[in-house]
Amino acid sequence: MTTARRIRVTREKIVDRLVFLVPVVVFVTLLYGTLMWTLYVSFTDWKTVAANYHFTGLKWYRFLVAQPRFWVDIQNNLKWLILGVVPTVILAILLAYLLELSPFRGVEPYVRTLILYPVAMSFIVTGTIWSWMYEPNRGVFNTLLRSIGIESPLRFVTNPSTATYWLIVIFIWQYLGFAVIIIQSSFRTTELQEMIEAATVDGASRLRILVSVLIPNIRPGILILVSLLLISTLKVFDIVYIVTFGGPGISTDVLALNMWITFFQQHLVSAGAGLGIIIFAMAFILIIPYTIYALQRWFE
Amino acid sequence: MKSRDTTLKLVVVLTLVLLSVAYLLPIYVMVITSLKSVEEINQGNYLIPTGNPQFSNYAEVLFGSDRFRSNMIPRLMNSAIISVSSTALSVFFGALGGYYLSRTKTTFARVLFVLVGIALYLPYQAVIIPLVIMIARLKLALSYWGMILSYLILNMPLAAVLMGTFFLSIPRELEEAAEVDGASRVQIFFRIITPISLPAYASVAIIIFTQVWNEFFLALTLSSPKTQTVQVVMAEAKGTTLVLYNLQMAAALISVAVPLVLFLLLGRYFIRGILAGALKS
Repeated sequence: MTTARRIRVTREKIVDRLVFLVPVVVFVTLLYGTLMWTLYVSFTDWKTVAANYHFTGLKWYRFLVAQPRFWVDIQNNLKWLILGVVPTVILAILLAYLLELSPFRGVEPYVRTLILYPVAMSFIVTGTIWSWMYEPNRGVFNTLLRSIGIESPLRFVTNPSTATYWLIVIFIWQYLGFAVIIIQSSFRTTELQEMIEAATVDGASRLRILVSVLIPNIRPGILILVSLLLISTLKVFDIVYIVTFGGPGISTDVLALNMWITFFQQHLVSAGAGLGIIIFAMAFILIIPYTIYALQRWFE
Repeated sequence: MKSRDTTLKLVVVLTLVLLSVAYLLPIYVMVITSLKSVEEINQGNYLIPTGNPQFSNYAEVLFGSDRFRSNMIPRLMNSAIISVSSTALSVFFGALGGYYLSRTKTTFARVLFVLVGIALYLPYQAVIIPLVIMIARLKLALSYWGMILSYLILNMPLAAVLMGTFFLSIPRELEEAAEVDGASRVQIFFRIITPISLPAYASVAIIIFTQVWNEFFLALTLSSPKTQTVQVVMAEAKGTTLVLYNLQMAAALISVAVPLVLFLLLGRYFIRGILAGALKS
C-alpha cells in the first residue's frame, strides 16, 4: 500500500467516525453546556426579566433555604420518593408473580393492556380525570360512596394534610403497568425458572418461593425499576400543577413546581436556577447505583 | 394441593375485578362525562351513561365556542408537528450516536456513555432557563423550531441509548463481512444495520413520540400562542372553565386519542422499547 493511499484510507476512516461521533458530541455538549449555564445563573443576581450576570455567590441559595416553602417542598418530595416508589414496586412484584401463577389462560394479555394503557396518557389527562373523581362534593368517588349510604368524610386533594397522598395515588395508578412489565421480564430467565421448579419439587410454598427465590434473584430488575421511579417522582410536576397547583395553600407544593413559579411567574431567575440545580443534584445522587450497574452491563 | 389452587383462583379473580374497576372506571368516566350536558352532570348520576349524548361537546372543543375558546384543531396540529419532527430528528441522530457507543470500547466512548446515561435522567428544570434565553436570542420563540430543537436535545440521549442497545444485539459477523468487502462504516450503517433495525427504530420512535406528545413542563414554558400544544390547552381549560367537566373530558379524550391508538395498535413495539430502555441499558 502506498503512503498516499494509506493517508486516503485513514482520512476516510476519520470522516467515517465523525458521522457517528459529531451529533452525539454536539448534543451532549449542548446539554451539559446548558446545565453549566444554569449553575452559573444560580450564582448571579438575576431577579427580574432583564439579564443580570453579576456574581453573588450563594446569595440565592441562602434565600431559598430561608423560605419555609422550600422545606415544605423537601418534605413533599420525600413523601413522593418513598410513597411513590415503595408501594409501586411491592404491588408490581406481587402482581407479576400472580400473573405467573395464574391458572386461567388469557389473563395475562388482558391485564397487561388494562394496566399498561396509562403509559400512553399524559399526566395532564390523567390529572384532569382524577380531579373529577376526587372532587369532594360532586366527584365520582364520593358520589359512589353516598349511593351506598356512606357520607364520605374524605376531602381528597382539598384537605391540606392528606392532599399529597392522594396525588401519589394517581402516580401509582399510572406507573403500575410499567412497573409490572419490568418485573415480569426479569422473572423470565431460564435460570430463575429452573430454580423455581426445583423449589416447587422440594415442596416450598408459593410465598416462600417468592421471598427466598424470586426476589433475591431479580435484584437488578428491582434496582432499575426503583431508579426509574425515583427519578420520575423527584421530577414530579404535571400532576401537582394540574390537580392542585400546589394547593391548598402550599401544602402539595414540590421543588419542580416551586422552580417554575419562581422562575416563570416571579422572574427570580437566579433563585429558579438554584432550584433547578438542587433538583439535578438530587437526581444525580439517586441514579449513581444505576449508572454504575448500567456501565458494567454495557461494556461487559 | 386442591385447597391451595382454590385460594389462588380466588385471589386471581379478586385481583382481576379490582384492577378492572381501577383501570376501566377512569376511562369510562371520561367517555360518558364528555358526552353529557352541564345540566346532566349537575344532576349527579355520574355512572349512568347519558340518554342524550352531546356530540356537540366535541365540536365545541375542536372548533372552539364561547364556553371553550381555545379550539383544539390548531393545537393538535402544533403537537403533531412538534412531536413528529423532534422524534424523527432525535431517532436519526440518536441512532448514529448509539451505533458509535455500541461499537467503540475506548475510554472516550465510556466517558461519553456515562455522560449520555446521566443526560437521560436530566430534569428539565435544570436546563430550562438557558433554553428560554437561547430561544429568545435566536428569535425562535414564535416558531416551532425552538421547541423542536429543545426536544431534540433532550431526547437524543434516550434515542442513542435505546438504539445502541439494539445495535449491541446485532451479530458483528455481518459487519465484518462487509468490511472485508471494503464498505465504509457509513455504508455499513445505512445499508446493513439500518434495514435490519427497522423494528427497533419503530419502538424508539413510538416511545419518544409519546413522551414528547405528553410532555408538559417544557411545553408550558416555551410555547407561544402560536405553538401551544394540546397538553398546555388542557391545563388552561382546566384553569379557566372550572365547572365544565364535560368539555374538559372531551378535550382530554381528543388529546389522548393519538398516543392511545398508537399504543393499542403497536403495543408490542411499545413494550419492547420500554424493556430495552429499562433492562439492557
